[in-house]
Amino acid sequence: MSSWYACGAPEDDIAVSCRVRLARNVSGLPFLSKMTDEQRRELMERVKNALLESNTPYAKSLKFIDMSAVPHNEAWAMVERHIISPEFAESTLSRAVILSDDESISIMIGEEDHIRIQVILGGMQLEKAYDIAERLDAFLYETLHFSFDKDLGFLTECPTNLGTGLRASVMLHLPVTESDGEIRHISETVGKIGFTVRGMYGEGSGAKASMYQVSNQITLGISEKSAISNLNIITRQLIQKERVKRESLEQLKAEDICGRALGILKNCRILTNEEMMKLLSAIKLGVGMGIIEEKAMPVKLLIEGQPHMLMKKYGSIAENEYDIYRATFMREQLSGIKEV
Amino acid sequence: MLCDKCGKNTATTHIKRIINGVVTESNLCSECAEKSGSLYKGGLYNMLASVLGDVPELKINENQKKCPVCGATFSEIAKTGKMGCAECYKTFGAELMPYLKRVHGTVKHTGKIPNSAPLAVRPEPENADTLRMEMNRLVSEERFEEAAVIRDKIKKLEEKENE
Repeated sequence: MSSWYACGAPEDDIAVSCRVRLARNVSGLPFLSKMTDEQRRELMERVKNALLESNTPYAKSLKFIDMSAVPHNEAWAMVERHIISPEFAESTLSRAVILSDDESISIMIGEEDHIRIQVILGGMQLEKAYDIAERLDAFLYETLHFSFDKDLGFLTECPTNLGTGLRASVMLHLPVTESDGEIRHISETVGKIGFTVRGMYGEGSGAKASMYQVSNQITLGISEKSAISNLNIITRQLIQKERVKRESLEQLKAEDICGRALGILKNCRILTNEEMMKLLSAIKLGVGMGIIEEKAMPVKLLIEGQPHMLMKKYGSIAENEYDIYRATFMREQLSGIKEV
Repeated sequence: MLCDKCGKNTATTHIKRIINGVVTESNLCSECAEKSGSLYKGGLYNMLASVLGDVPELKINENQKKCPVCGATFSEIAKTGKMGCAECYKTFGAELMPYLKRVHGTVKHTGKIPNSAPLAVRPEPENADTLRMEMNRLVSEERFEEAAVIRDKIKKLEEKENE
Protein backbone atom coordinates (compact mmCIF):
# COMPACT_ATOMS: atom_id res chain seq x y z
CA MET A 1 0.00 0.00 0.00
CA SER A 2 1.37 3.41 -0.88
CA SER A 3 2.13 5.98 1.78
CA TRP A 4 -0.24 8.75 2.83
CA TYR A 5 1.93 11.31 1.08
CA ALA A 6 2.00 9.53 -2.28
CA CYS A 7 -1.55 10.30 -3.36
CA GLY A 8 -3.61 13.44 -3.85
CA ALA A 9 -5.73 14.86 -1.00
CA PRO A 10 -8.30 17.60 -0.38
CA GLU A 11 -6.92 21.17 -0.59
CA ASP A 12 -3.47 19.81 -1.32
CA ASP A 13 -2.64 22.74 -3.59
CA ILE A 14 -1.67 24.42 -0.31
CA ALA A 15 -2.29 22.06 2.62
CA VAL A 16 0.51 19.48 2.63
CA SER A 17 -0.55 17.37 5.59
CA CYS A 18 -2.41 17.43 8.86
CA ARG A 19 -1.49 15.62 12.03
CA VAL A 20 -3.21 14.77 15.30
CA ARG A 21 -1.41 13.42 18.34
CA LEU A 22 -2.85 12.17 21.63
CA ALA A 23 -0.64 11.65 24.70
CA ARG A 24 -1.77 8.87 27.04
CA ASN A 25 -0.41 7.01 30.06
CA VAL A 26 -1.58 3.64 31.32
CA SER A 27 -2.81 3.79 34.91
CA GLY A 28 -1.00 1.72 37.50
CA LEU A 29 2.42 2.24 35.94
CA PRO A 30 4.88 5.04 36.72
CA PHE A 31 5.66 7.52 33.94
CA LEU A 32 8.50 6.65 31.60
CA SER A 33 11.33 8.40 33.42
CA LYS A 34 10.63 6.21 36.47
CA MET A 35 10.07 2.96 34.62
CA THR A 36 12.38 -0.02 34.68
CA ASP A 37 13.28 -1.78 31.46
CA GLU A 38 11.08 -4.67 32.53
CA GLN A 39 8.11 -2.35 32.95
CA ARG A 40 8.79 -0.80 29.54
CA ARG A 41 8.79 -4.24 27.95
CA GLU A 42 5.58 -5.12 29.77
CA LEU A 43 3.99 -1.91 28.51
CA MET A 44 5.03 -2.69 24.93
CA GLU A 45 3.46 -6.16 25.19
CA ARG A 46 0.24 -4.87 26.69
CA VAL A 47 -0.27 -2.22 24.01
CA LYS A 48 0.64 -4.70 21.30
CA ASN A 49 -1.86 -7.27 22.54
CA ALA A 50 -4.56 -4.68 23.12
CA LEU A 51 -4.42 -3.61 19.48
CA LEU A 52 -3.11 -6.40 17.33
CA GLU A 53 -5.05 -9.24 18.90
CA SER A 54 -8.23 -7.26 18.89
CA ASN A 55 -11.17 -7.08 16.55
CA THR A 56 -10.74 -3.41 15.75
CA PRO A 57 -11.04 -2.78 12.02
CA TYR A 58 -7.57 -1.25 12.13
CA ALA A 59 -5.88 -4.34 13.58
CA LYS A 60 -5.32 -6.00 10.22
CA SER A 61 -3.42 -3.05 8.79
CA LEU A 62 -1.21 -2.53 11.85
CA LYS A 63 2.22 -3.97 12.52
CA PHE A 64 4.31 -3.88 15.67
CA ILE A 65 7.93 -2.75 15.33
CA ASP A 66 10.36 -3.19 18.22
CA MET A 67 12.64 -0.18 17.78
CA SER A 68 15.64 -1.89 19.36
CA ALA A 69 15.70 -4.13 16.28
CA VAL A 70 15.58 -1.18 13.87
CA PRO A 71 18.95 0.10 12.59
CA HIS A 72 19.79 3.74 13.28
CA ASN A 73 19.53 4.77 9.60
CA GLU A 74 16.14 3.17 9.22
CA ALA A 75 14.91 4.90 12.38
CA TRP A 76 15.98 8.26 10.94
CA ALA A 77 14.26 7.46 7.66
CA MET A 78 11.11 7.04 9.78
CA VAL A 79 11.70 10.50 11.24
CA GLU A 80 11.97 11.87 7.70
CA ARG A 81 8.63 10.26 6.87
CA HIS A 82 7.13 11.94 9.98
CA ILE A 83 6.30 8.60 11.61
CA ILE A 84 8.36 9.05 14.78
CA SER A 85 10.05 11.92 16.59
CA PRO A 86 13.83 12.53 16.45
CA GLU A 87 14.07 11.89 20.22
CA PHE A 88 12.36 8.55 19.76
CA ALA A 89 14.78 7.60 16.97
CA GLU A 90 17.79 8.51 19.10
CA SER A 91 16.64 6.79 22.30
CA THR A 92 18.45 3.64 23.37
CA LEU A 93 15.71 2.48 25.76
CA SER A 94 13.15 -0.23 25.05
CA ARG A 95 10.45 1.27 22.85
CA ALA A 96 8.22 0.32 19.96
CA VAL A 97 5.96 1.73 17.31
CA ILE A 98 2.76 0.30 15.91
CA LEU A 99 2.40 1.35 12.30
CA SER A 100 -0.35 1.09 9.70
CA ASP A 101 0.30 -0.07 6.12
CA ASP A 102 0.09 3.42 4.65
CA GLU A 103 2.00 4.80 7.66
CA SER A 104 -0.79 7.27 8.42
CA ILE A 105 -1.27 5.74 11.89
CA SER A 106 1.73 5.47 14.18
CA ILE A 107 1.48 4.66 17.85
CA MET A 108 4.72 5.30 19.69
CA ILE A 109 5.15 3.30 22.88
CA GLY A 110 7.75 4.71 25.25
CA GLU A 111 8.28 8.16 23.74
CA GLU A 112 7.66 10.99 26.23
CA ASP A 113 4.45 9.39 27.42
CA HIS A 114 3.56 5.70 27.55
CA ILE A 115 1.54 6.00 24.37
CA ARG A 116 1.44 8.62 21.67
CA ILE A 117 -1.26 8.01 19.11
CA GLN A 118 -0.48 9.86 15.91
CA VAL A 119 -2.54 10.11 12.76
CA ILE A 120 -1.15 11.98 9.78
CA LEU A 121 -3.10 12.49 6.56
CA GLY A 122 -2.39 14.37 3.36
CA GLY A 123 -4.06 17.71 2.66
CA MET A 124 -6.70 19.22 4.89
CA GLN A 125 -8.41 16.35 6.72
CA LEU A 126 -8.13 17.35 10.36
CA GLU A 127 -11.51 16.03 11.46
CA LYS A 128 -10.88 12.70 9.81
CA ALA A 129 -7.45 12.45 11.42
CA TYR A 130 -8.90 13.26 14.84
CA ASP A 131 -11.71 10.82 14.30
CA ILE A 132 -9.28 7.96 13.65
CA ALA A 133 -7.10 8.95 16.62
CA GLU A 134 -10.13 9.06 18.87
CA ARG A 135 -11.33 5.63 17.82
CA LEU A 136 -7.91 4.18 18.58
CA ASP A 137 -7.85 6.03 21.88
CA ALA A 138 -11.28 4.72 22.87
CA PHE A 139 -10.31 1.25 21.83
CA LEU A 140 -7.06 1.25 23.79
CA TYR A 141 -8.78 2.69 26.83
CA GLU A 142 -11.10 -0.29 27.03
CA THR A 143 -8.25 -2.67 27.76
CA LEU A 144 -5.52 -0.44 29.16
CA HIS A 145 -7.25 2.32 31.16
CA PHE A 146 -5.42 5.61 31.05
CA SER A 147 -4.54 7.86 33.98
CA PHE A 148 -7.21 10.51 34.15
CA ASP A 149 -8.25 13.19 36.60
CA LYS A 150 -11.54 15.03 36.33
CA ASP A 151 -9.89 18.43 36.76
CA LEU A 152 -6.55 17.86 35.06
CA GLY A 153 -7.78 15.58 32.30
CA PHE A 154 -5.43 12.95 30.89
CA LEU A 155 -2.34 12.87 33.07
CA THR A 156 0.92 13.28 31.17
CA GLU A 157 4.55 13.14 32.18
CA CYS A 158 5.06 16.78 31.24
CA PRO A 159 2.39 19.04 32.78
CA THR A 160 2.29 21.12 29.59
CA ASN A 161 0.31 18.34 27.88
CA LEU A 162 -2.29 17.89 30.63
CA GLY A 163 -5.95 17.99 29.71
CA THR A 164 -6.72 16.64 26.28
CA GLY A 165 -3.12 15.63 25.55
CA LEU A 166 -4.00 16.71 22.03
CA ARG A 167 -1.59 18.37 19.68
CA ALA A 168 -3.01 19.06 16.22
CA SER A 169 -1.13 20.64 13.37
CA VAL A 170 -1.43 21.43 9.69
CA MET A 171 1.47 21.90 7.32
CA LEU A 172 0.90 24.55 4.69
CA HIS A 173 2.85 25.54 1.60
CA LEU A 174 2.77 29.33 1.57
CA PRO A 175 5.33 30.61 -0.95
CA VAL A 176 3.45 33.75 -1.97
CA THR A 177 2.37 34.72 1.55
CA GLU A 178 5.99 34.25 2.55
CA SER A 179 7.49 36.25 -0.30
CA ASP A 180 5.39 39.35 0.35
CA GLY A 181 6.33 39.27 4.03
CA GLU A 182 2.85 38.72 5.44
CA ILE A 183 3.83 35.48 7.13
CA ARG A 184 5.49 37.42 9.99
CA HIS A 185 2.32 39.34 10.66
CA ILE A 186 0.33 36.11 10.62
CA SER A 187 2.69 34.41 13.10
CA GLU A 188 2.17 37.25 15.54
CA THR A 189 -1.61 37.27 15.24
CA VAL A 190 -1.98 33.51 15.48
CA GLY A 191 0.37 33.42 18.49
CA LYS A 192 -1.97 35.69 20.41
CA ILE A 193 -4.82 33.22 20.20
CA GLY A 194 -2.97 30.15 21.41
CA PHE A 195 -1.61 28.80 18.14
CA THR A 196 1.91 28.71 16.78
CA VAL A 197 3.19 29.05 13.24
CA ARG A 198 6.65 27.77 12.64
CA GLY A 199 8.77 27.13 9.62
CA MET A 200 9.30 23.48 8.81
CA TYR A 201 12.63 22.09 7.72
CA GLY A 202 14.33 25.18 9.09
CA GLU A 203 15.79 26.66 12.24
CA GLY A 204 13.69 29.09 14.23
CA SER A 205 11.23 31.12 12.24
CA GLY A 206 12.84 30.60 8.84
CA ALA A 207 11.30 28.03 6.54
CA LYS A 208 12.85 26.08 3.77
CA ALA A 209 10.53 25.11 0.94
CA SER A 210 8.04 27.72 2.27
CA MET A 211 6.45 25.07 4.49
CA TYR A 212 4.81 26.32 7.65
CA GLN A 213 3.24 24.34 10.45
CA VAL A 214 0.30 25.74 12.40
CA SER A 215 -0.46 23.99 15.69
CA ASN A 216 -2.49 24.39 18.88
CA GLN A 217 -0.64 25.04 22.12
CA ILE A 218 -3.23 24.91 24.88
CA THR A 219 -4.41 21.50 26.07
CA LEU A 220 -6.10 22.23 29.40
CA GLY A 221 -9.39 24.12 29.53
CA ILE A 222 -10.23 23.66 25.87
CA SER A 223 -12.10 20.70 24.39
CA GLU A 224 -10.74 18.59 21.55
CA LYS A 225 -13.61 19.75 19.39
CA SER A 226 -12.83 23.44 19.94
CA ALA A 227 -9.09 22.99 19.46
CA ILE A 228 -9.62 21.16 16.16
CA SER A 229 -12.27 23.53 14.90
CA ASN A 230 -10.20 26.63 15.79
CA LEU A 231 -7.20 25.19 13.99
CA ASN A 232 -9.42 24.40 11.03
CA ILE A 233 -10.73 27.96 10.87
CA ILE A 234 -7.26 29.49 11.10
CA THR A 235 -5.67 27.26 8.48
CA ARG A 236 -8.58 27.66 6.08
CA GLN A 237 -8.14 31.41 6.28
CA LEU A 238 -4.44 31.06 5.56
CA ILE A 239 -5.20 28.79 2.60
CA GLN A 240 -7.73 31.25 1.24
CA LYS A 241 -5.28 34.11 1.62
CA GLU A 242 -2.57 32.23 -0.25
CA ARG A 243 -5.02 31.36 -3.03
CA VAL A 244 -6.07 34.97 -3.49
CA LYS A 245 -2.44 36.03 -3.61
CA ARG A 246 -1.70 33.33 -6.18
CA GLU A 247 -4.45 34.65 -8.41
CA SER A 248 -2.63 37.94 -8.75
CA LEU A 249 0.55 36.14 -9.75
CA GLU A 250 1.09 36.36 -13.49
CA GLN A 251 0.60 32.99 -15.17
CA LEU A 252 3.66 33.50 -17.35
CA LYS A 253 5.80 34.29 -14.32
CA ALA A 254 4.54 31.23 -12.45
CA GLU A 255 5.29 29.04 -15.48
CA ASP A 256 8.75 30.54 -15.67
CA ILE A 257 9.53 29.86 -11.98
CA CYS A 258 8.19 26.32 -12.17
CA GLY A 259 9.77 25.55 -15.55
CA ARG A 260 13.20 26.69 -14.44
CA ALA A 261 13.00 24.56 -11.30
CA LEU A 262 11.95 21.54 -13.33
CA GLY A 263 14.79 22.17 -15.78
CA ILE A 264 17.39 22.12 -13.03
CA LEU A 265 15.96 19.07 -11.25
CA LYS A 266 15.80 17.09 -14.49
CA ASN A 267 19.38 17.88 -15.44
CA CYS A 268 21.40 18.43 -12.29
CA ARG A 269 24.28 16.17 -11.26
CA ILE A 270 24.88 17.55 -7.77
CA LEU A 271 21.99 18.70 -5.60
CA THR A 272 22.12 19.90 -1.99
CA ASN A 273 19.19 19.32 0.32
CA GLU A 274 18.62 23.05 0.56
CA GLU A 275 18.51 23.58 -3.19
CA MET A 276 16.21 20.59 -3.59
CA MET A 277 13.75 22.11 -1.13
CA LYS A 278 13.78 25.45 -2.89
CA LEU A 279 13.22 23.88 -6.31
CA LEU A 280 10.51 21.46 -5.13
CA SER A 281 8.75 24.39 -3.51
CA ALA A 282 8.66 26.10 -6.92
CA ILE A 283 7.35 22.89 -8.49
CA LYS A 284 4.70 22.57 -5.79
CA LEU A 285 3.56 26.09 -6.58
CA GLY A 286 3.35 25.06 -10.24
CA VAL A 287 1.27 21.99 -9.33
CA GLY A 288 -1.00 24.17 -7.20
CA MET A 289 -1.50 26.52 -10.15
CA GLY A 290 -2.22 23.73 -12.61
CA ILE A 291 1.07 23.98 -14.51
CA ILE A 292 2.15 20.44 -13.63
CA GLU A 293 -0.32 17.62 -13.20
CA GLU A 294 1.30 15.21 -10.73
CA LYS A 295 -0.33 16.48 -7.56
CA ALA A 296 1.46 14.47 -4.89
CA MET A 297 4.88 14.46 -6.55
CA PRO A 298 6.62 17.47 -4.92
CA VAL A 299 5.90 16.40 -1.33
CA LYS A 300 6.76 12.79 -2.10
CA LEU A 301 10.12 13.85 -3.54
CA LEU A 302 10.74 16.26 -0.68
CA ILE A 303 10.40 13.37 1.76
CA GLU A 304 12.20 10.77 -0.33
CA GLY A 305 15.07 13.14 -1.13
CA GLN A 306 16.05 13.40 2.56
CA PRO A 307 19.41 11.82 3.49
CA HIS A 308 18.22 8.65 5.26
CA MET A 309 15.50 8.03 2.71
CA LEU A 310 18.15 8.16 0.00
CA MET A 311 20.21 5.69 1.99
CA LYS A 312 17.19 3.41 2.28
CA LYS A 313 16.94 3.40 -1.52
CA TYR A 314 20.60 3.31 -2.55
CA GLY A 315 22.24 1.59 0.41
CA SER A 316 25.16 3.05 2.29
CA ILE A 317 26.18 6.50 1.00
CA ALA A 318 29.45 8.27 1.80
CA GLU A 319 29.20 11.70 3.42
CA ASN A 320 30.28 13.56 0.27
CA GLU A 321 28.02 11.59 -2.07
CA TYR A 322 24.55 12.51 -0.82
CA ASP A 323 24.23 15.43 -3.22
CA ILE A 324 25.15 13.21 -6.16
CA TYR A 325 22.64 10.48 -5.24
CA ARG A 326 19.98 13.12 -4.61
CA ALA A 327 20.50 14.55 -8.09
CA THR A 328 20.34 11.06 -9.61
CA PHE A 329 17.13 10.33 -7.73
CA MET A 330 15.48 13.53 -8.93
CA ARG A 331 16.49 12.91 -12.54
CA GLU A 332 15.05 9.40 -12.37
CA GLN A 333 11.82 10.51 -10.77
CA LEU A 334 11.21 13.52 -12.97
CA SER A 335 12.24 12.21 -16.36
CA GLY A 336 8.65 11.71 -17.54
CA ILE A 337 7.19 14.85 -15.95
CA LYS A 338 6.02 17.54 -18.35
CA GLU A 339 4.46 20.92 -17.99
CA VAL A 340 0.82 21.10 -19.06
CA MET B 1 8.55 51.39 26.09
CA LEU B 2 11.80 49.87 24.93
CA CYS B 3 12.15 46.36 23.54
CA ASP B 4 12.59 43.72 26.27
CA LYS B 5 15.22 41.97 24.22
CA CYS B 6 17.55 44.49 22.59
CA GLY B 7 16.68 47.42 24.86
CA LYS B 8 17.37 49.78 21.94
CA ASN B 9 14.30 50.05 19.74
CA THR B 10 10.79 50.96 20.73
CA ALA B 11 8.65 47.92 21.53
CA THR B 12 5.87 47.71 18.99
CA THR B 13 4.67 44.17 19.55
CA HIS B 14 3.25 42.63 22.64
CA ILE B 15 3.74 38.91 22.33
CA LYS B 16 1.86 36.47 24.43
CA ARG B 17 3.25 33.12 23.48
CA ILE B 18 1.72 29.90 24.57
CA ILE B 19 4.15 27.21 23.67
CA ASN B 20 2.94 23.79 24.72
CA GLY B 21 0.80 25.57 27.23
CA VAL B 22 3.62 27.63 28.70
CA VAL B 23 2.61 31.28 28.69
CA THR B 24 5.25 33.96 28.35
CA GLU B 25 4.63 37.61 27.66
CA SER B 26 7.06 40.07 26.19
CA ASN B 27 7.24 43.48 24.55
CA LEU B 28 9.50 43.43 21.54
CA CYS B 29 10.53 45.66 18.67
CA SER B 30 9.58 44.38 15.24
CA GLU B 31 13.09 43.10 14.56
CA CYS B 32 13.33 41.03 17.74
CA ALA B 33 9.71 39.88 17.40
CA GLU B 34 10.61 38.38 14.06
CA LYS B 35 13.54 36.57 15.53
CA SER B 36 11.60 35.41 18.57
CA GLY B 37 10.77 32.09 16.94
CA SER B 38 14.11 30.84 18.21
CA LEU B 39 13.74 32.19 21.72
CA TYR B 40 13.15 28.83 23.33
CA LYS B 41 16.02 26.77 22.10
CA GLY B 42 16.56 25.16 25.49
CA GLY B 43 13.55 22.98 24.87
CA LEU B 44 10.33 22.54 26.70
CA TYR B 45 11.63 20.74 29.71
CA ASN B 46 14.17 23.42 30.44
CA MET B 47 11.57 26.09 30.11
CA LEU B 48 9.09 24.27 32.29
CA ALA B 49 11.80 23.49 34.79
CA SER B 50 12.60 27.18 34.91
CA VAL B 51 8.95 28.00 35.54
CA LEU B 52 8.74 25.41 38.29
CA GLY B 53 12.22 26.04 39.58
CA ASP B 54 12.14 29.71 40.51
CA VAL B 55 10.16 29.07 43.67
CA PRO B 56 11.68 30.24 46.95
CA GLU B 57 9.74 27.77 49.14
CA LEU B 58 11.06 24.93 47.04
CA LYS B 59 14.31 24.88 48.92
CA ILE B 60 12.49 24.52 52.22
CA ASN B 61 10.50 21.59 50.86
CA GLU B 62 13.50 19.85 49.49
CA ASN B 63 14.18 17.18 52.05
CA GLN B 64 10.72 16.01 52.87
CA LYS B 65 7.62 14.91 50.97
CA LYS B 66 8.07 12.03 48.56
CA CYS B 67 5.50 10.57 46.21
CA PRO B 68 4.32 7.36 47.95
CA VAL B 69 4.11 5.52 44.62
CA CYS B 70 7.22 6.45 42.68
CA GLY B 71 9.34 8.22 45.28
CA ALA B 72 9.77 11.45 43.31
CA THR B 73 10.37 14.66 45.26
CA PHE B 74 9.11 18.04 44.16
CA SER B 75 12.61 19.38 43.66
CA GLU B 76 13.29 16.45 41.33
CA ILE B 77 10.19 17.32 39.34
CA ALA B 78 11.12 21.00 39.27
CA LYS B 79 14.56 20.12 38.03
CA THR B 80 13.47 17.84 35.17
CA GLY B 81 10.01 19.21 34.42
CA LYS B 82 8.81 15.60 34.43
CA MET B 83 6.30 14.07 36.81
CA GLY B 84 7.21 10.64 38.15
CA CYS B 85 3.76 9.07 37.99
CA ALA B 86 0.06 9.88 37.99
CA GLU B 87 0.06 9.93 41.80
CA CYS B 88 2.58 12.81 41.77
CA TYR B 89 -0.20 15.10 40.60
CA LYS B 90 -2.08 14.30 43.81
CA THR B 91 0.96 14.33 46.08
CA PHE B 92 2.25 17.66 44.83
CA GLY B 93 -1.11 19.10 43.79
CA ALA B 94 -0.85 22.09 46.11
CA GLU B 95 2.71 22.92 45.02
CA LEU B 96 1.86 22.49 41.36
CA MET B 97 -1.40 24.37 41.22
CA PRO B 98 -0.05 27.94 40.91
CA TYR B 99 2.29 26.81 38.14
CA LEU B 100 -0.35 24.90 36.26
CA LYS B 101 -2.41 28.07 36.33
CA ARG B 102 0.50 30.04 35.01
CA VAL B 103 1.16 27.49 32.31
CA HIS B 104 -2.37 26.77 31.08
CA GLY B 105 -4.30 29.76 32.38
CA THR B 106 -6.89 27.36 33.78
CA VAL B 107 -6.89 24.09 35.70
CA LYS B 108 -10.21 22.69 34.61
CA HIS B 109 -10.27 20.00 31.95
CA THR B 110 -13.13 20.54 29.51
CA GLY B 111 -12.30 17.88 26.95
CA LYS B 112 -13.53 14.37 26.72
CA ILE B 113 -13.97 12.12 29.71
CA PRO B 114 -13.21 8.43 29.39
CA ASN B 115 -16.04 6.03 30.07
CA SER B 116 -16.10 2.31 29.83
CA ALA B 117 -18.28 2.95 26.79
CA PRO B 118 -16.52 4.55 23.81
CA LEU B 119 -15.23 7.98 24.63
CA ALA B 120 -17.38 10.84 23.55
CA VAL B 121 -16.57 14.48 23.20
CA ARG B 122 -18.69 16.18 25.79
CA PRO B 123 -20.35 19.50 24.99
CA GLU B 124 -18.50 22.56 26.24
CA PRO B 125 -19.70 23.33 29.77
CA GLU B 126 -21.44 26.65 29.97
CA ASN B 127 -19.47 29.40 31.62
CA ALA B 128 -20.62 32.81 32.73
CA ASP B 129 -18.56 34.71 30.15
CA THR B 130 -19.89 32.89 27.10
CA LEU B 131 -23.41 33.05 28.50
CA ARG B 132 -23.09 36.78 29.03
CA MET B 133 -22.00 37.27 25.43
CA GLU B 134 -24.98 35.25 24.29
CA MET B 135 -27.28 37.29 26.54
CA ASN B 136 -25.98 40.59 25.15
CA ARG B 137 -26.48 39.34 21.62
CA LEU B 138 -30.09 38.42 22.38
CA VAL B 139 -30.70 41.79 24.03
CA SER B 140 -29.31 43.61 20.99
CA GLU B 141 -31.76 41.63 18.88
CA GLU B 142 -34.52 42.59 21.32
CA ARG B 143 -35.17 38.95 22.18
CA PHE B 144 -35.71 39.79 25.83
CA GLU B 145 -37.51 36.63 26.94
CA GLU B 146 -34.70 34.38 25.77
CA ALA B 147 -32.17 36.77 27.28
CA ALA B 148 -33.93 36.52 30.63
CA VAL B 149 -33.58 32.71 30.60
CA ILE B 150 -29.84 33.09 30.10
CA ARG B 151 -29.63 35.77 32.79
CA ASP B 152 -31.11 33.27 35.26
CA LYS B 153 -28.60 30.66 34.15
CA ILE B 154 -25.73 33.09 34.80
CA LYS B 155 -27.15 33.84 38.23
CA LYS B 156 -27.32 30.16 39.11
CA LEU B 157 -23.78 29.57 37.85
CA GLU B 158 -22.39 32.44 39.86
CA GLU B 159 -24.20 31.32 42.98
CA LYS B 160 -22.65 27.87 42.54
CA GLU B 161 -19.20 29.38 42.15
CA ASN B 162 -19.59 31.44 45.28
CA GLU B 163 -20.63 28.47 47.40
